[in-house]
Amino acid sequence: MRNAFSRALVTAAQADPRILLLTGDHGYSLFDEFRQVCPAQYINAGVAEQNMVGVAAGLAKGGFRPIIYGLSAFVPMRVLEQIKLDICYEQLPVILIGDGAGVVYSSLGSSHQSTEDIAALRAIPNMTILSPADRYEMTACMELALRSPQPVYLRMGKSDLPIIHSAQPNFQFGELCPIKQGNNQICFIATGSMVSTAIKVSEKISKKVNEKVNNIAVWSAPSIKPLNIEQVVAIAQSHQLIVTLEEHSIYGGLGSAIAEITAEYAPISVYRIGIQDRFSKFCGSYQYLMQEHKLDVESVTSQIFLALKT
Amino acid sequence: MFDAKKLRQTILNMAYAGSTVHIGCAFSIVEILAVLYRSHLNFANNNPEDALRDYLILSKGHGVMAQYACMHELGWLTDRDIQNYFHDGTSLKGLSDCHVNGLEVSSGSLGHGLSVGVGLALAAKRHQTDQRCFAIAGDGEINEGAIWEALLFAAHFELSNLLVIVDNNGYQAMGTTNEVMRLGNIADKFRAFGFETREVDGHDELQIDRTVHELMALNSPCPRAIVAHTVKGKGVSFMENDNRWHYTRLTDETYKSAIAELQGSSHK
Repeated sequence: MRNAFSRALVTAAQADPRILLLTGDHGYSLFDEFRQVCPAQYINAGVAEQNMVGVAAGLAKGGFRPIIYGLSAFVPMRVLEQIKLDICYEQLPVILIGDGAGVVYSSLGSSHQSTEDIAALRAIPNMTILSPADRYEMTACMELALRSPQPVYLRMGKSDLPIIHSAQPNFQFGELCPIKQGNNQICFIATGSMVSTAIKVSEKISKKVNEKVNNIAVWSAPSIKPLNIEQVVAIAQSHQLIVTLEEHSIYGGLGSAIAEITAEYAPISVYRIGIQDRFSKFCGSYQYLMQEHKLDVESVTSQIFLALKT
Repeated sequence: MFDAKKLRQTILNMAYAGSTVHIGCAFSIVEILAVLYRSHLNFANNNPEDALRDYLILSKGHGVMAQYACMHELGWLTDRDIQNYFHDGTSLKGLSDCHVNGLEVSSGSLGHGLSVGVGLALAAKRHQTDQRCFAIAGDGEINEGAIWEALLFAAHFELSNLLVIVDNNGYQAMGTTNEVMRLGNIADKFRAFGFETREVDGHDELQIDRTVHELMALNSPCPRAIVAHTVKGKGVSFMENDNRWHYTRLTDETYKSAIAELQGSSHK
């Protein structure tokens, strides 16, 4: 996925000299190709994220198309007010890349983990939030972001995720991507890293031959804000339960966004799977931490069976 | 144009019409703005949106009434805008707001404007235009860490088209800068950050004018800075160095007496 990001970045910068990449001294090795091919369009703003976002706003006002790269623990979290006031209030075409979203930096602890970035940004007007699930969605998201005249936050999670799509999906801002057809009982709507988990869980449950829950439909949500209300309502109206899955707090993320729509337009049970309201407790591998937060395939499967019993 | 006493009267008229605060913050930068608008800022065809204009960044957004007063002189704001200040449904706010033609940034949340100005200066450099960026920061404002990030960046990227002017009026919201957060020698700090730095009497227009000319004509890759020693509330005796005029609203009496003092001395 990082390769797809790097490729999209280089291609865009070569085609458009207005594109400038700003980094807060992050992205070791990720930008090797960019720095080689477009050295003049690369700006290392130093370990000074607040200023970097303000500078990007000034560059956008001056006719450039800045792309800000940071770890999602810092961009957007550390610079939320600069994003609100300097970028979103003026609706400037700035793309923000938040890398390592969720608990990717599992061994570095809470300073480098980010499970609140979507919630923090969703309430800021004019902000668009994208969260690709694999390299195909990443390329599609980059294309959408680069065409947008508005601020866009692109949430980049675990980089070596399984491939979901067989080709680049065609979607617009707000649209969900159908991944797997199902019956009219349960539907999964997942984003980012949790799309592949959702597919695995749906297959696992099908194998358990439970009449009620086999053949679960799976949707990917590469666009978290906006969300296409009609599409979500149609899904809600044709199922009895929606399960949302995200590597983000259950507060304010995809699950909340879906539940807000269904509560207002098509009331239905929405079961939110994500990070409960807590920080990571221990250190370990990514897989370990996903287990700690009950976001691995086994834990998600048992949570769903539990939810069905109640 | 840009007579300082007249600008101060416009500020008082606005503050009185809108029953607003921050008069002291506006009064300390009147001469600085008058000199910049009169002799240095380039706006082709008097168009505040001209693509090749110089940028005036009021990073200390609290002084915005002084900028409104100058924009009124330029015809960018009408008498009606002044009279209707803070009335329901109007556009001119109590802090600099980028949606107003003539104001470049949304500031007032402090430590934002300078970075945006640095970005604009960098954009002008990259476009190889002659545009310059003049950014005014408050001495209280430079408590903000983002200011020092911006200074590092400006020096590193050799933004010689950037002039930062510090309105060193010695006060911030809750007291003197010495009481609240000691700044030490501001000019020395700017020099240490790689700026061509001068100090001026921020109410001496001739001195400000000469210093801006001298700095911008320097053949140096460094960004420029002026530490302007000013008086908060300058121009009206009972407001000078009285920090209550950061927050106090005008009454009929204080308005009349302030206007009378400004008009009286203008006839001398």
